[in-house]
Order: sequence, then C-alpha cells, then structure tokens
Amino acid sequence: MFLILGRTFKEGIKNFVKNGLLSLAAVSVLTISLLVGGILFITSETASQLLKDIESKVNVTIHFKSDVEENDILEVKKELENYSEVDGVEYISKEQALETFKKNNANRPAVMQALEVVEGNPLPASLVVRTHDPSQYETVVEYVAKASFKEDVREINFERHKEIIAKLVKITSEVKKAGMVIAGFFAVVAALLIFNTIRIAIFTHRQEIEIMRLVGASNTYIRLPFIYEGIIYGLSSSVISMTLLFFAVKYGTPYVSKIIPSKDLLSFYYENIGMMFSVQLGVGILLSVFTSIVAIRRYLKI
Amino acid sequence: MIKFENVSKIYRDDFVALNDINFEIQDGEFVSIVGSSGAGKSTLLRLIYAEEQPTEGAVFFNDVPIIEISRRKLPFHRRNIGTVFQDFKLLPKKTAYENVAYAMEVCGAPTEEIKSDVPQILEIVGLADKMNKFPSQLSGGEQQRVAMARALIHKPMVIVADEPTGNLDPVTSVEIVQLLLKINKLGTTVILASHDKDVVNKAAKRVIVLDRGNIICDDAKGKYKIC
Repeated sequence: MFLILGRTFKEGIKNFVKNGLLSLAAVSVLTISLLVGGILFITSETASQLLKDIESKVNVTIHFKSDVEENDILEVKKELENYSEVDGVEYISKEQALETFKKNNANRPAVMQALEVVEGNPLPASLVVRTHDPSQYETVVEYVAKASFKEDVREINFERHKEIIAKLVKITSEVKKAGMVIAGFFAVVAALLIFNTIRIAIFTHRQEIEIMRLVGASNTYIRLPFIYEGIIYGLSSSVISMTLLFFAVKYGTPYVSKIIPSKDLLSFYYENIGMMFSVQLGVGILLSVFTSIVAIRRYLKI
Repeated sequence: MIKFENVSKIYRDDFVALNDINFEIQDGEFVSIVGSSGAGKSTLLRLIYAEEQPTEGAVFFNDVPIIEISRRKLPFHRRNIGTVFQDFKLLPKKTAYENVAYAMEVCGAPTEEIKSDVPQILEIVGLADKMNKFPSQLSGGEQQRVAMARALIHKPMVIVADEPTGNLDPVTSVEIVQLLLKINKLGTTVILASHDKDVVNKAAKRVIVLDRGNIICDDAKGKYKIC
C-alpha cells in the first residue's frame, strides 16, 4: 500500500513539474483566491473589532430638565436598574457634568469664556444607562419615552450613535460581499485552470495510461497521480498565500494602527495562524482535488 | 479456459464485427486467428482482455463470464493476460529494463522483486545485453521482444498477440513466432492474430479463420488459408 502511495506520489510530483507554466498559472490563481479570502477574513475581523469598540462606548444618556430634584433622578435610577436589560446606571450630577465639560474644553478658550458669561451651571444632570447588549438600547429608549417621569426628561441621547453604527455595519457587510465575490471569482477561474491542467496531464500521459491498463494496474493506481497533483496545487497555493498574507499584515500594521489604535494585526495573524492556515489548506485542497476528480471522471477512461 | 458462447459484437453504426462466434481454447493451446483486415480478429482479442464487451452472448475466462468481473477486479483479470501489439506500445523515454519494470511497478510489486525478475525475463526473450537501451536504439524485432518480456512479467496464463509481426521483416517475424512457440512450450496459452501466411504456417498449430465476423474454419492442425 505504502509502495503504491509512494510511487504514485512521485508520479504526481513529476506531472506537476512537467506541466510547468500550466501548474504555475493554476497555483497563482488559486493563491490569489485564497489570499483574497484571507484578507477578507482579517478585514472583517478588524472591522467587527472596531464595531465592538464603538458599541462599547455607546450608551443611552437621559438628560433631565434643570428643575428636577436630585432625589427624583435617583428614584428613576433605581427604577431603571430593576430592568433585566440594564447593565448599569450612572448618575452624573450637574456639577460633575460641568467639571467634565470644563476638562474636555480646557484648551478652547472661546468655549470657556462663553461658559463664564452664562450665569450658573447650564449643564443638565443626567443618567447614563448601559445595557448588556447594544440591541437592547431601543427597549430602554422606548421605556423612558413612556415612563411616568417622561415629563422630567429633556433629551435622550442615542439616535446619533445609532446612525454611525448602522453605517459601519453596512460598510462592513458591503466590503464582505465584494470580497466574497472576488474570492469566488478567482476560485472559479482557479478551478477551470486546474481542470484544464489535469486534462492536459491526462492527455500527455495517455500512452502510460493505456499501458497501465493493459498490464493490469489498479484503477486507483492510475488515478492517484492526478489526485496528488491536485493536492500539490492546494498545498503550495495555501503556503504561498499564508506567506504573502504575513508580509501584507507585517507592512500593513502601521497604517491600520493609525486608524484603530487598539488593533495589532500581526499579533492577530499569529493568534489565528493555525486556524487560517488549516482553512486555506482545506479550501485549497478540496477545491483542487474536487476539480481533479471531475477532470479524471471526464477524461480518464479506465 | 477461454470460451466464446454465441458472441456477437455490433458497433454503433450497425457494423457487425463478430457474428455468433462459438469456440473454446484449452489450457496450454497455441491458436492462430487469421483473416483479412476487418475480419474481426482484433475485436475478438479485445473481448478476451475486456477492452470491449460483447453485444450478445458471453466470453468465459476460467468458467467466469468476463462481463461479470467488476471494474475493481478487472485489473486482476488483465494480469492473467499478457498483451503484445503490432506497434509494441513501449514508453520511448524508458529503457528496455524500465519498460518491463514499469509493468511491475504499477501493479505494486516490491522493488526487490522487480530487480530480480526483470533481468530474468529479458534473458528469456534474448535481450539480456540490451537492457539499458531505449526503444529508439533497438530494432523492431528487439522492441517487440521487450514488449513480450513485459507481457510475460506477471506470469500470465495467456499471451494475446495482435499482429505482433505486422511491423517486422519476414526473418524477424519468424524469430518472434519462435519465441511465442517457446513461451507456449513453457506452459502459457498463446493466441496469435495475424494475416501473415508465413507466420501462421511456421507455427503449424490450430488455426481459426475469420471472415467478416464469422468463423469459417477451425482446424486443429491448420495452415493459413481462406476456406
């Protein structure tokens, strides 16, 4: 058995080398397809990380009218805390709000001057509500809108974030779709190229195939070299693609870090190297072996 | 050992290659199948090594209908039959030794066995000194000997030779027939298809004459003739 596997493997490698340019073309296109897939994975992971970051910063801020007593606000806080969706409620008094405002605008003298002109504290007291899940904010907003204390509420600050998130989600999904179409396109081209290469390999080996049949080589023995050829396509493509991806990530990290400071692409690559390589290997080998089998069934008469 | 029972072979365009063929070949026989081109000789041989299946009737090999041999088992059936052709079917990029060894390799024979068997068989066909020559460096007769060595390597029960002397001069042809007779003497059944009168007469064995797909003569001690 090992004898047969070894001999046919040798034949497979010979076919691969003999086919030269054709093999190169098939491997290149398969590599591109895998590479696009890999880049797609990293981008979408980065994007969803970015989304998570933004979502974690999102909260519902309920601003109260200035004549509402602090005790009443604390009552509302207690009420909100009873909801299962609510993760936490923070009370920000008028004074705290003013302090934060001053801190944030310390280097903007015009704003500070304007603040001095206004008598007293113009900033409202507020409650900052966090939920367990971003989708639950709507529920909170709806609840506040109907609550007994709705008369005391000046403004609910949520809508703005919602738009940004929706936009980001849309962009990410568009990028994902486009990437998938591109990767799919290259995968189809790769499959066609592999199909053609195997067809030609079968054609150039027709004499050997005829003799093998006549002397009683098993069907498996005749087919295996072409299957191996397919495996070699998948294997070399995924190795090349992972290497290219490594360099893309290595040299791309400084640029991405500027946009998303929390994200280190290189360590992300290392963390996921095993998974990404096995997926690429699996997809590459499955695609090329499947195509080889189709070509063998079509052209290799046993 | 080989039995044809009411065998007909009709090709797609209604061309009748064989028509209701009945005969039997015993173990160890030497049978010449003669007839002009298109008489159905090759078709008959192809039915034996299962390259084709009969349209009607059945071909038996050791009492087993060949049509019932599964695709998986077919290679093992073919290892019982050595085939020799007019065009030798040698691989040009392999030496005489490698061509014979190839037949063993692809059937999964261990390397040690190949190393000991191939020189032996090349010795039998008289090519011990030309083992490392490529087909292009060998004469037609020598190439056919390589092909015969390859056909013999699995120690087959039958040698099926389809016009083995078709590309050879008369003297070489006689040598090939003598080699076939030698192989037969060692116990292997030989089926020789030929339209070469001298070759068949030289063998002086059983002759089956085919004409347009029909058996018109079957003589135990035959000469080449058109009955």
